[in-house]
Amino acid sequence: MFSLISSIKTLAVRSGVNSTLRTLHVTSSLEAARKGTREKARKKKVKVEVKKVGFIPHNQRDKNKLKILRADRHVDDSWKATPLDNVYVGKYYKWRVYSVQEAIQCHRETHHPSMFNVPNAPLVAEIEINTQAEKANRFVDNFQRMAMIPHKFEHGEERKILVFTKENDLITEARTAGASLVGGIELIKDITNGELLLSDYQYVIAHPNILPELVSLRGLMKRKFPNPKSGTLGGDLTDMIKKFANGISYSAVKDEHQQNFGLIKATIGHLSMDSNHLESNLKSLLEDINSVRPKREGRFITRVLLKSFPSGEQLKIDPFVYIPEEVVKKSSSKAAPVAEEKEVVENVN
Amino acid sequence: MLRNLSKTTLNFSKNALSLEQQVRTTFILKRRYEPHLHKTNTTPKKYRAKHFIYDLVEDTLVKKRENIEVVLTQFVDGVGDKGDIVSMKAHFVYNQLLLPGFAVYKTDENVAKYAKTEAEKNTVVHSSPYAQRTVNMLESLIVPVSMNKDNAWVIEPWHIRASLRKMGYHCKDECITMPEQKIEGPELTNEGKEFFVTITINNLEKAKVRCRLHHWSTEPSERLPYVFEHWKRPAENIFGSSEETVQN
Repeated sequence: MFSLISSIKTLAVRSGVNSTLRTLHVTSSLEAARKGTREKARKKKVKVEVKKVGFIPHNQRDKNKLKILRADRHVDDSWKATPLDNVYVGKYYKWRVYSVQEAIQCHRETHHPSMFNVPNAPLVAEIEINTQAEKANRFVDNFQRMAMIPHKFEHGEERKILVFTKENDLITEARTAGASLVGGIELIKDITNGELLLSDYQYVIAHPNILPELVSLRGLMKRKFPNPKSGTLGGDLTDMIKKFANGISYSAVKDEHQQNFGLIKATIGHLSMDSNHLESNLKSLLEDINSVRPKREGRFITRVLLKSFPSGEQLKIDPFVYIPEEVVKKSSSKAAPVAEEKEVVENVN
Repeated sequence: MLRNLSKTTLNFSKNALSLEQQVRTTFILKRRYEPHLHKTNTTPKKYRAKHFIYDLVEDTLVKKRENIEVVLTQFVDGVGDKGDIVSMKAHFVYNQLLLPGFAVYKTDENVAKYAKTEAEKNTVVHSSPYAQRTVNMLESLIVPVSMNKDNAWVIEPWHIRASLRKMGYHCKDECITMPEQKIEGPELTNEGKEFFVTITINNLEKAKVRCRLHHWSTEPSERLPYVFEHWKRPAENIFGSSEETVQN
C-alpha cells in the first residue's frame, strides 16, 4: 500500500517536472524537420582527404608561393645620358652601340696573339626578342629554326641529311650537294622494314615527285616529315641541302619567369673570317628571325650583343641597320624580300 | 600663472614652427554622394551625414615634385660650369646647390649676373661637367693588363684601351700616353708589377692611371696560380723607381 502511494507520488512529481520543462515547438512534426536538416548538413560536409606528401627539402617548399621581385630582362637605358667626352665611364651613360665591323675589331683586339691568343674563336650573337604575340597576354612559343647563310663555316655539329627523290638526275644532284643518303621508293621500303633507322638522320628532305609514296612514312617521321613551311619539301634540292648542311641552327628560349623575354644564342662564324662575311651571316640570321615576327606594333628583336669566349665583353650592335624595326605593310613587303632573296642566292654562288 | 605661461610659450613655439616651415597639407577630396540641387529662392536642404563622406583624389604631399631651374654660380663637378642653367630634382637642388651657394634661382637678374665674362670664357679650366669625375674615377682604379705568357709583345696604347674597355671605361688611342720606357714581354719577373699611363680627356684634363701587368696563357694548365684579391696588395713598380709608386 505504501509502495503504491509512493509510486503515485513520483508519477505526480514527474508529471509536474515535465510540465515545467516543456518548451515551445516540440511537436513531433517539427522534430522530424530538424532531423532532416541535420542530415542534410551532415551530407553537405565533404570529408577532406589529407594527401600525404613526401619529404621536400626546406629550400624547395612553397616555391611557387614565393614572390621574388625579378628585374625586367628587357633592359632599357634610354633614360641615361649620351656621352659627350672622348673618355668616359660606361656605367653613367647609355650602352655604347658599335657597328658590326667595330665590334668584330674589338673582339679581335682582345683575342690577339699578344693577349688571349685565340684568333680563331667563334663569334656568338645573343639576340634578345620580345615574345609577345598579337595580344598582350599571348606569347610566341619557343621555336627552333635553320637560317641559311651566305658564308659557311665549321659549326662543329653532326648533321646527317636524308633525301628522298625519284629521278636519277636529281639523285646525283643531291649527292653532289652533300646529302648523306639519297634514295627513292627502295629507301621507303627499307625504312618500313626497319632496316634503316630514321633516328640516325637529323634532317629529312624530299622532292615533291615522291610525295605520294612518302605519305606511308608520316607516322614514323612525325615532326620530321617534309613540308614546305619548314623548307624541307621543294624543287631545288641543292639549295635545301646546302641550307641544312651549312646553315645556322638556332633556338629561341623563353625566360622561365618572364613570358615576354626570349633569347637566341647562335654562332655566326669565327673571328678569323672576313668581317664582311661575318656581317652578311649576321644579316641573314636576323632576317630569318624577323620572318617569324608576330603581326603587332613595336619591336620584335630588342637587343643584339656580340660575344666571343674567353673574353667576357658584350658589345651591343644595332640590328635595325639590317632589318625593319616595325612590321612592314604588305604592299611594301612584297617588293623587299624578293630583292633580299636574290642577294643571298648571289652570295651563295 | 606658471602653467598659463608655459602654455602660451608652447603656442608661440608652435606658431614659430608653422611660420618657418612650409607645410603641404592639401588633400584633394571628392564627395561620394552629391547633395541634391535646391530650387531657386528656397533655402538649401540640410546636408545628411552621407554628404560628408569623401573619397581621396590626391595627396599633394606624395606628389612628384617638378624639377627646379637654377643658375650655377661656379663650376660644380658633375653638374655644369658657371652661368649654366640646369634643371634638376628639387631635393638635390636645395641641399647640394642652393644651400652651399653653388647656385641661385633662375631669374633674369641672376642669369645676367652669373653669365660668363669674355675673360672667363677664354680660360677654360674644365672641358666638360663630367671630366673631373672621370679623372677621379680613373685615378682610383687599378687596370689589369693581361698579356700573353707564350707570345712576344710590346705594350701599345690599344692594349691599354682594350683593358680599359673590359673594365667599362671607354677611350680612344690618341688619349693614351704610354710610359717612356718600352714594356716588353713575356717577362715573368714583371708579373703583378705596376706602371702608369696618362690619359688625357678632351685634350685638357689628365689622369694618371695605375696599370698592373698580368700574364695569361690560353692553355688552362699553363696559367699562373690565381692570387686572391690581388688588387688589394701592394705592388712594385715595373721600372724599379720608387718615385712612381704613388699611394692609392
